[in-house]
Amino acid sequence: MKIRVKVNGRWYESDVEPRTLLAYWLREDLKLTGTHIGCDTTSCGACTVLLDGKAVKSCTVLAVQANGREVMTVEGLERNGQLHPLQSAFWECHALQCGYCTPGMLMASYALLQENPNPTEEEIREGLSGNICRCTGYMNIVKAVQTAARKMSGESQEALEEVAANGASAD
Amino acid sequence: MSEVLKPQFTGARVTRLEDARLLRGQARYVDDFEYPGTLEVAFLRSNRAAARIQSVDVTEALAVPGVKAVWTFADCPITLPDRPFQVGQPVLARDEVRFVGEPVAAVIADSRYRAEDAVEKIRVQYEPLPAVVDSRAALADQPRRVHEHRPNRFLHKTHVTDGFNEAFQSAPHHLELTFRWNRQTGVTMETRGCLALPDPVSGRLTVYAGHQSPHGLRGMLARLLKLPEHQVRVVVPEVGGGFGIKAMFYPEYVVVAEAARRLGRPVKWIGDRMESLLADAHARDAIHEVAVAYDDEGRILAVRDHVIGDTGAYAFPGFPGAVGEANWATEMLTGPYKIPHVSIEIECVFSNKAPLGPYRGVGGPIGAQVQEAIVDAVARALGKDPVEVRRANLIGPEDFPYHTPTGKVYDPGSYGESLERALALVDYERFRKDQEQWRAQGRYVGLGLCVFVEPSAMAESEAGSIPYEAVTLRMEPSGVVTAAVGTGPTGQGHETTFAQLIADQLGIDVKDVVVLHGDTDSAPFGGGTGGSRSGTIGGGAAIRAGQALRRKLTQLAAHLLEAAEEDIRLEAGKAFVAGVPARSITIRDLARTAYTDVARLPEGMQPGLEVVARYQPPGAATYSNGTHLAVVEVDVETGFVKVLDYVVVNDCGVLVNPMIVEGQIHGGVAQGIGSALLEELRYDENGQLTTTSLMDYLLPTAEDVPRMRVEHIQTPSASEGGIKGMGEGSLIAAPGAIAAAVSDALAPFGVFVTELPIRPQQIVAWVQAAKTEAQAG
Repeated sequence: MKIRVKVNGRWYESDVEPRTLLAYWLREDLKLTGTHIGCDTTSCGACTVLLDGKAVKSCTVLAVQANGREVMTVEGLERNGQLHPLQSAFWECHALQCGYCTPGMLMASYALLQENPNPTEEEIREGLSGNICRCTGYMNIVKAVQTAARKMSGESQEALEEVAANGASAD
Repeated sequence: MSEVLKPQFTGARVTRLEDARLLRGQARYVDDFEYPGTLEVAFLRSNRAAARIQSVDVTEALAVPGVKAVWTFADCPITLPDRPFQVGQPVLARDEVRFVGEPVAAVIADSRYRAEDAVEKIRVQYEPLPAVVDSRAALADQPRRVHEHRPNRFLHKTHVTDGFNEAFQSAPHHLELTFRWNRQTGVTMETRGCLALPDPVSGRLTVYAGHQSPHGLRGMLARLLKLPEHQVRVVVPEVGGGFGIKAMFYPEYVVVAEAARRLGRPVKWIGDRMESLLADAHARDAIHEVAVAYDDEGRILAVRDHVIGDTGAYAFPGFPGAVGEANWATEMLTGPYKIPHVSIEIECVFSNKAPLGPYRGVGGPIGAQVQEAIVDAVARALGKDPVEVRRANLIGPEDFPYHTPTGKVYDPGSYGESLERALALVDYERFRKDQEQWRAQGRYVGLGLCVFVEPSAMAESEAGSIPYEAVTLRMEPSGVVTAAVGTGPTGQGHETTFAQLIADQLGIDVKDVVVLHGDTDSAPFGGGTGGSRSGTIGGGAAIRAGQALRRKLTQLAAHLLEAAEEDIRLEAGKAFVAGVPARSITIRDLARTAYTDVARLPEGMQPGLEVVARYQPPGAATYSNGTHLAVVEVDVETGFVKVLDYVVVNDCGVLVNPMIVEGQIHGGVAQGIGSALLEELRYDENGQLTTTSLMDYLLPTAEDVPRMRVEHIQTPSASEGGIKGMGEGSLIAAPGAIAAAVSDALAPFGVFVTELPIRPQQIVAWVQAAKTEAQAG
C-alpha cells in the first residue's frame, strides 16, 4: 500500500506491506533508528512517538494508519542544532543510563508537557507510567521533566510556541 | 604566590560524555546497523518443557519466498561446552527438547517478517515426556532425569565451621524458617541480538552483539566455530542494559555467526520480548531452609542453611546460575553480623526450565534478605526492637579486617555508621510512635532495614576469571587522549568515569579524553563488565595508565623547561614548574613535540605518547556496604504495597562520580522493588512458562518507585584510588528491606514474609487467616 506521512516536518512517500508496523517503517524505511522497540505488546513505551501531537506506541500502530498524518520522533526534537529543553534537562539530571528507553521517555514527556506545562511530581509519574526504564529508577527522569518544564515556561511566549510547533513547521 | 588550582574531576558530578548521542536518537545499538544484503534469523522454539523430537519437517518453510535456509541441529551440529557437569546445550535442540523456549530450528530469510512466516510452517512431531519442574522432587530424580546419562543433582557441597554443633546445640533459643525466591530475570530494555558479517577479503568474521565481555564472546565464538581468535572481531556497540544476562554466551550467537560464514552474507538476529523472557538467563529460583541459634540478648550464635537451587535444563558455560546464586548467598550469609558459626549445605539440580544465569547481585539479594529476616525473626521472638538486635550483632570498626565464618575477609567499612545515619534520616523513634497511631487507625505502615555488604571487584565473576583490566592510552599530537578499555559498559558511564580518572592524572580537561570500548580490534584484552568490577579494576587500570603517561609528560616537560622532574606539575592543560607558574608549556605543545619535533626530546626518550597499563587489585575482593531503609504501607483489603519512603546510606569507598553512583543506586532500588513485589517467571506444573510478555512479567513503573534519599560515606579500599565496586549493592539490599517492611507492617497479623515476590493475593490471604484465627480464638 502507498502511504504518505509527514515525519519531523517532512513528507515521505512509501509503499508498505499492510502489516508493517509504524516503528519498523520509521526504523527500516526512513532509517530513523532513534525509535526503539522493547516489548511488542505496548507495555514498555520505548517506541513512543507523536502521531498528530499525541503520544502513541509505534509498535502497535500500523504504518498505514499514519497515512496522511504527522509523526514526530526523537530525531525531530532538536532545533537548529540546539537540544530541546527536555533533552538538555535529561542530560543535566542524569535521567538516562543505557539510553534505550530515552527516546520514548522524551517523546512521552514532550506530550505530557504539551498537555500540562506545569505538572506535579505525581502527574509526571502517572504520565510516564506507560514507559519503562530499567536503569534509572525514574527519580532523575521525574526531576528532568520538572526541570524542562521550568526551562520551557521561563522562555518567551514566542519561543514556547516554536517549541510547541516543533516538527510541524519545517515544511 | 598562588598556584593554579588542579581541576579535580574525580569526585565531581561530571555530566556524562556519552549522553549527546543517546539523547539525539543517534546512538547505535545492534539493531541499528544496516549492511546491504543482510539476512535475518527467526528461531522456532520448543513449546514443550520435555519431549523427544520425532521429526522436523521444514519442506513448507523452505518454500516461503525469501527463505534462504532452514537449519536444525543436523545442519549446525555445534554443542556448547559440556564441562564440568557433562551437559552441553546443542545450539539447536538435538533429539530432545528440555525447556520451553529452547531453539529447535532456525530460519534464515531476507527479512524477519518472512523468517517468522516460515517458522510457522515448520512441523515438529514431539513425543511428550514428564517435565521436571519441582526442585525438591528433582533432587530424587523425580519424575525423571532431565539428562538421561546423569542424575539431576549436579552439585552437592557443605561447609561447616569447627564447633558448629556445640555452639548450635548449647544455645538457649532456636528458630527455623524456610525461604523461597521465585524465578526472575534481568529484562534489559534492549533484547539480546547479534549481527555477523563475513569479510570476503580478509576471511575474518565480525560479530556485533550487545555483550558485557567482548573478549569473552570472541574467545567462545572462535572456539566453537573453530576459527583462530584473530579471525574473529567482536564489536559491542551501544548496549541497552545488561544486568548480568548479557555476560552469558548463548546458542543463538553461534547459529547467527555460522550462518553468516556459510552463506557468505551478513546475518542478524534480534530477539523479541517473548524470546527474551523465555530464554535470557533466568535468576534466583532457590529454597533456603534455615535454622538459627541465638541468646537472650538477640546475639546470633550459629546459622544452618540448606540451599536447593534449580539451574534449569543446562548450565551456562562458565556460570551455572544456581551455583552462582547459592555460593554468593551462602558465602555472604552472615552479612554485616558477627555470627561465629555456620553450617551450609548446597544442592543444585537440573530441571526442565530455562537455564539460570546471572542477574545483578546474583545470590546477594537472597543472602541479604535471609540474613535480615533472621535478625528480624530473632527480634520478634524476643520481643525486641529489630534495630537493637542489629546493634548487638554488627561488626564494629575494631573488627576489621573481619574474617567471616565462610572464609571471606572484609576490608574496612561503615556498617554501624550507615545504619545509624539511615535511622536518623527517618527519625526512627518518632516513626515507631507514629506507627502505633496509624495502626490504631487501621493503617498498616512498616519499616524495613537491610544492612548489606557487597563483595566487588572479585577475581572471578560472571565476567569470567580475569582478575585484572587493561587500559591503553594514547595522547595524540593534538594533546587529546584516546583511551581503550576492555570493559563492557551497558549504561554505567565508563566513558565518563574513566575519562575523569585519566584527565586528573594528566591535568587535562575531561572532554579531551575519549574512551573506546567494546571493539576487540582496538580494546586491550579484558574481562569485561560484571561482578561490580569495572570501577575498581578498570578504574584502577585507568589511573595506572594515566600515571604512566604522566611520568613521560613530566620527564619531557622537565627537559624542555630545564627544571627537576619532581618540580613539574601537570594542571589545567599545562606543565609548569611548581611555584613558578610562568615557567610553563602547554600539554598540547608537549604532545606535538613528542611526535613531530623529536630532536627536542631528551636523550633516550622514544617519540610518541602511548602506554598500556594493567591493574589487578591487591585483595581477592573489596567490600562495599550500606543500609537501605524502606517504609511501606500495606492495604490489607487489596494486598497492594506502596513504598512511602526510601533511604540509602551507601559506602563504596572513594566516589569517582557521585551522580553516576546515585543513578546506579536508584536503578538497583527500583529493580529491588520489582524483585520484592512484582517480578516472577511462573512455570505451571507442565513446565510451561506463563509469563512471556511484559503484561505478565511486571516491571516497576514510575508510579511504583518512590523518591529516594541517598547519602554517602567514603571508607576507601586498598585498591588504586580507594575505589570499591557498587553496581549491585542496591539490588542486593532493596528486596530485603522491602520484605522486612511488609513483615513489619503486617506484624499485628503475625505475618512474616519468607517468599519473594510478595503477591497481593498472599497478603489478603494472610490477613484473612489471621482475622479468622483471632475470631475463632
